[in-house]
Amino acid sequence: MTRIRARGLRGAAASLVALSLIVAACGGSDDSSDDASDDASTEETASDDSASGDSDSVEVTQDGGTLAAVQARGTLNCGVSGAAVAFSYTQADGSMEGIDADYCRAVAAAVLGDADAVEFTSLTAAERFTAVQTGAVDVLMRNSTWTQSRDTEVGMDFGPTTYYDGQQLMARSADGFSGSSSVDEIDGATVCTNAGTTTETNISELASILGIDITLTTFEDYDQVVDAFIAGTCDVITTDGSGLVGRKAAQEPNAGDWVIFPATPISKEPLGPVYAQNDSQWADVVNWTVFATLIADENGVASSDVDGALAGDFGPEMSRLMGGEGELQTVMGLSADAFYNVISQVGNYQEIWDANLTPVGLDRAGSANASWTDGGLMYAPPAR
Amino acid sequence: MSDVTMTPTSPSNGASNRTSPLQWVRVNLFSSVSNTIQTIVFTAITLGLLRALLGQAFSEEADWTSVSTNLRLLMIYNYPADQIIRIWVSAAVVLLAAGLSLGAWKVEPGYTVGRLGRHLVGLGLFSLVTRLLLPVHAPDTVRTWLIIIGVVSLVAGVVVQRGDPDGDRVMGFGTVLSGVALTFLAVLWLVPFGQYGLVDGVLVAESGTTVASSTKVPWTVLLIIVVASHRVGIILGRALGRSLRAALAAFWVVGPAFVIFVILRDPAFDWAHVWSTDIPIAAMFGLGGAAVLYFVAAPGKTEVARAVGAMLFAFALFNWVAAFFGWYPMLQKVRISFLIFAIVVLLVPAFAGDRSTRRRVAGGWVAAMVVFHWLLTAINTESTLVITAPPFLGGFVLTVGIAYYVMLASFPLGVLLSLARTSKLPIFRVMSTGYIEVIRGVPLITVLFFFSIMLPLFLPKGMGISDLAAVFAGYTVFSAAYMAENVRGGLQSVRRGQYEAADALGLTTVQRTSLIVLPQALRVSIPNLVGQAIAVFKETSLIAIVGGFDLLRIANSTIPNQPDFLGQKRPGLLFISLVYFVFAYSMSKSSQRLEARLKDAQAR
Repeated sequence: MTRIRARGLRGAAASLVALSLIVAACGGSDDSSDDASDDASTEETASDDSASGDSDSVEVTQDGGTLAAVQARGTLNCGVSGAAVAFSYTQADGSMEGIDADYCRAVAAAVLGDADAVEFTSLTAAERFTAVQTGAVDVLMRNSTWTQSRDTEVGMDFGPTTYYDGQQLMARSADGFSGSSSVDEIDGATVCTNAGTTTETNISELASILGIDITLTTFEDYDQVVDAFIAGTCDVITTDGSGLVGRKAAQEPNAGDWVIFPATPISKEPLGPVYAQNDSQWADVVNWTVFATLIADENGVASSDVDGALAGDFGPEMSRLMGGEGELQTVMGLSADAFYNVISQVGNYQEIWDANLTPVGLDRAGSANASWTDGGLMYAPPAR
Repeated sequence: MSDVTMTPTSPSNGASNRTSPLQWVRVNLFSSVSNTIQTIVFTAITLGLLRALLGQAFSEEADWTSVSTNLRLLMIYNYPADQIIRIWVSAAVVLLAAGLSLGAWKVEPGYTVGRLGRHLVGLGLFSLVTRLLLPVHAPDTVRTWLIIIGVVSLVAGVVVQRGDPDGDRVMGFGTVLSGVALTFLAVLWLVPFGQYGLVDGVLVAESGTTVASSTKVPWTVLLIIVVASHRVGIILGRALGRSLRAALAAFWVVGPAFVIFVILRDPAFDWAHVWSTDIPIAAMFGLGGAAVLYFVAAPGKTEVARAVGAMLFAFALFNWVAAFFGWYPMLQKVRISFLIFAIVVLLVPAFAGDRSTRRRVAGGWVAAMVVFHWLLTAINTESTLVITAPPFLGGFVLTVGIAYYVMLASFPLGVLLSLARTSKLPIFRVMSTGYIEVIRGVPLITVLFFFSIMLPLFLPKGMGISDLAAVFAGYTVFSAAYMAENVRGGLQSVRRGQYEAADALGLTTVQRTSLIVLPQALRVSIPNLVGQAIAVFKETSLIAIVGGFDLLRIANSTIPNQPDFLGQKRPGLLFISLVYFVFAYSMSKSSQRLEARLKDAQAR
């Protein structure tokens, strides 16, 4: 009796296997058609393949790397904030603007020859690094500060800084503050900032070092901080300089009412691209895209000058960078005119700055973001 | 004002509350000293609140250009501007179906001419009071318009009310619909709306025109479609009756998916692939499945059906396990189709019958498979849209789309869960109770985080889930638990005798449940289910936290970060609260009407 049943079971199992093989054959023929539509219930994007775990993204890195993946896909997945004025924000017509968005476009122009071949993913501060680690985004341009712990611990690398930011304070000139005020003048003031950020830690550490007494009030988000400052609840507010300047330009009641100090920020916040660790080919591509915009800026090559630069009007270095010799870019796995596309479609560093940071009142001259030839920190290795 | 007091009273109508306004005021508001004090105090508070709200809306720093400029962003987010006709076509399809449905089901609002008059008088008074309370900064056009609206509707209200002193002249739905449409059109064409968008000194939309003119024509067409399709629905409803209603019901299940994935998403079908793979698979499941169903739906084949169904079910489950371990590749839609097929085969003996029944079962299966596979293929095909920041849905469209499909998907799931919870089989009862209690014990935000962040990590290799799909799954799972409890309340109201009567007729469990118990239980739980639907609609605002761009996120973080509108949150938030309120309130109103109608039906 048991034997019969066992045979029956085996028969059923065999028929199941046969049936599944038939179905698998149907499925197999489908998969080979390079459709990648393995998943019916979800919208399929190419990034999904690499988004399902760490081991996966390592595999991808081994066979061809991010560069090959981006070239095969035809679009660059770029992580941005989407809600950071001047860095990356959504315009009324739905397009993404800002310096970070422009650097996404620059990388797309270098890799794919088309600055518009970008898919922007808006990431919150909490999501951003996971998105890089899992490969959901190829590169992260989300005003992220380059720190030792982030660079070494979380499995990602930082590219060259595109914007040197730093924490500053803003107060009312009516309270006796000026642009040359120092931090110890805020003794006894109510200082406001947003909760749970490093700005909070920075200011309280500094206060204890200087031995001054401040009342620190924190708010859930930055809009509330500025509202409280306008309402007079806060004497001083503090966050990254770029954030202060933007609000001063937009919301200051009368010019000169608000002042930003100290001239030297109380913290260093270098912001730049972030990408997954251990993919040096991709790292080179992103890094040299940033460098290309800096070198073009140093040589005064704007987007309208690219043909002249290619012809050698701006010297041999620019000609090489624009693809005059070709080899420099092709060795990296890019086309010879990769950086020609970057400069012609997006622009050099100064143009990117003028388009995004000047409108909110940020001045490049005299800041750390000036070119090294003008006393700033923007310095690119030579292209040769 | 004096016009109102001169409204003729109907002294004979003492039983109803239709007295003169002055009398009504005396009886209801100033009947005693304490009532008078309460009336005065609460009127003062209400007026104070209104004044505060108006002060907020028209304060010097409140600049509504942030909303008017970003109106398109709020409605459709970054849907490509050159494809906007797709949005209008989608709206037309949905409104066409809505009009036809209202006609086919002969929905009557029970709105009387007298009530219209009262509402108009109320609107007129409200406008005039608002005009009086306006802060000094309010623009002159607003003052003028408020006076015009106030006086016109006051006079119109009084005139209309005279036409129906007894309040028993019921207006047909067509009339109400036409009236609403005409009012809307008048507002659209007469009220000058603001410019469409200055960004960095460049007009991003139709330069030199206004918002209204860019949407005037489409809206006019849409409103004509609604009114006309309502008429057509009534006429067709008379001619076709049940079959039209069945077709419309089917549309409301599949149609919105069609709208989203075919019209809005515009898949670029790879026809070679469709012919070589998609159509053969659909044909295999459709025709093969129909043959099997035709065979097992015969009376007396119950045992065979159970055996075949059980085998298929085991195989389907095995497929999913295999998928999880990545044993052999198979198209996901084949797996899903197998599972659905197995469940249908298991259920079908309950509806076994003569040749025509069997033919209907088989035909229904073929139709379902055609639609199902077509949609799956559309969903799986790359979109032709060029979207710089996917997904392609955002803003109000996302809010409505997600809310609708969560309601639709969580309803059957909720019914199944409630049935399982009231089942006699302990395993079902324990599992269902566990599920419901766990989900109800966890905040929605946790469930959403789990689905958007954790779920992708649990999926087998090579299988992905888009953000929107993950959020949709999370909402559905959450909402289903609440739906289940609502339906369970209904199930408990079905009397014992109904079960016994069904058993006495010799009905099987499935037949008893689907034909006798559920129809009664669901009718009782409809008000609660609508309440749950409203909750789902409002809870969609949590998408913002897990990465979607719904109304709230756009108003709360996108607009205040545009250089032109830096830090301007209030106008956007006020605007979206108005949008949420209008929709939630109309849903709640229609639920009240439904409730009243069901009460009537039960009393009869």
